[in-house]
Amino acid sequence: MQSIINSIVKNRNLIIYIFLSLITFNFLYQKSPIHSTNIGKIATFISGTSSSFSSSVSSYFSLRSKNQKLITENLELKKVESKYNILSQNTENLSILSGPITSAEVILNSVNKNKNIIVINKGLSEGVNKEMGVISSNGIVGIVKNVTDNYSSIISLLNIDLKINAILKKSSTLGSISWDGKNPKIVKLNDIPLSSSIKVGDTIITGGMSFYFPKGIPIGEIIDYDNSSLEGYYEIDILIFNDFSSLSNVYVIDRSDNEEIKDLLYE
Amino acid sequence: MNREVFRNILIYSTILTLQIFIFNHINLFEIITPYIYILIFIIYKTSYDKTLLLFLGFLSGIIIDLSIQTYGCHTFATITICYLRTKIEKTSFGVNANLPSAMVKGTKFSSRAFFFLSLIFIHSIIYYSLIFFNINAIVEIFSYTIINSIITFMIVWVISKLISNK
Repeated sequence: MQSIINSIVKNRNLIIYIFLSLITFNFLYQKSPIHSTNIGKIATFISGTSSSFSSSVSSYFSLRSKNQKLITENLELKKVESKYNILSQNTENLSILSGPITSAEVILNSVNKNKNIIVINKGLSEGVNKEMGVISSNGIVGIVKNVTDNYSSIISLLNIDLKINAILKKSSTLGSISWDGKNPKIVKLNDIPLSSSIKVGDTIITGGMSFYFPKGIPIGEIIDYDNSSLEGYYEIDILIFNDFSSLSNVYVIDRSDNEEIKDLLYE
Repeated sequence: MNREVFRNILIYSTILTLQIFIFNHINLFEIITPYIYILIFIIYKTSYDKTLLLFLGFLSGIIIDLSIQTYGCHTFATITICYLRTKIEKTSFGVNANLPSAMVKGTKFSSRAFFFLSLIFIHSIIYYSLIFFNINAIVEIFSYTIINSIITFMIVWVISKLISNK
């Protein structure tokens, strides 16, 4: 207490100076309209700058919590978005599917061999059987080859042994899709007669004339074709819609009418 | 002591009266108005109380402000030079600053001139800054300050000589 009093006594001139200055400025502010306006402007500027500074400092310190909140919100939105995407993308493809559909996750996949095989995490216990068609949201994937209780292996479209019935979406001209074992993004469309009219960009869909896939599932689009063949058929390169290197979720199609048709054929 | 106080009051009153009735009405080239009342704070002896000087500055300033309606511009300028006087003394006169009346007699001309000019210049720049109170008028503030400081310095110097001779 004594030191405070000593300090006040020591600095009394400064304190008196500040006090008298405040009285003077108050007088100036009250009596002079020009000074009143300008002091008001300065006060506004100072209060605006200081509150802006304090606001930016406080917002900086709350960045972590805000960031966490945004991450949580983003996660929720991603969930909603993925649900929406699955619904919207599959509505077009899946609406043409009449039988039950089983969704599955790819647990093993390859694109660099001649005979690529995909393994999924669904098997007999979930109703997956041999020779069922497998598609993804972008188009066809392959056909179920072997089934265990919980897993199934699929002959990928990128397998030189697989041939799938396909048509030109525009003209419904029938052909068949096969892979030549080279580029995993390009397959060949065979058996399209030279009399058909085709052009680059035409879409290829499944023809429906097989036991595996119904009609209308997208496969790819024409990127190149050769009409110089002597056999009377085009040699067409198709860019497939599916990216097999990043395949994650697939759907197994159960065509329950298969057995009846087979019975009819082999009777 | 009483005689000295009476003499000082008489000198200060005379200077203030001269300022109010004569020098405040001088407006040469619409720029020059000498503020000779700064002399009060220049001749105020170093041995006197510094706190009293502040109040003297406040009183003188407010009287000038009321007489020419400058709303506190003179008051702030005068209390500021009164507060800074001790520091300016030390800068101007060095160790002699603590000696009573040392600034008037027995000091160098340059030290005295620096002391006078410093007080006058600080007073003028504060006064004109408050009068214009606009950063865009910085050229006017400096030109008014420099011209008025020189004129005020010359008049104050002459009057101080007259007072010291008496």
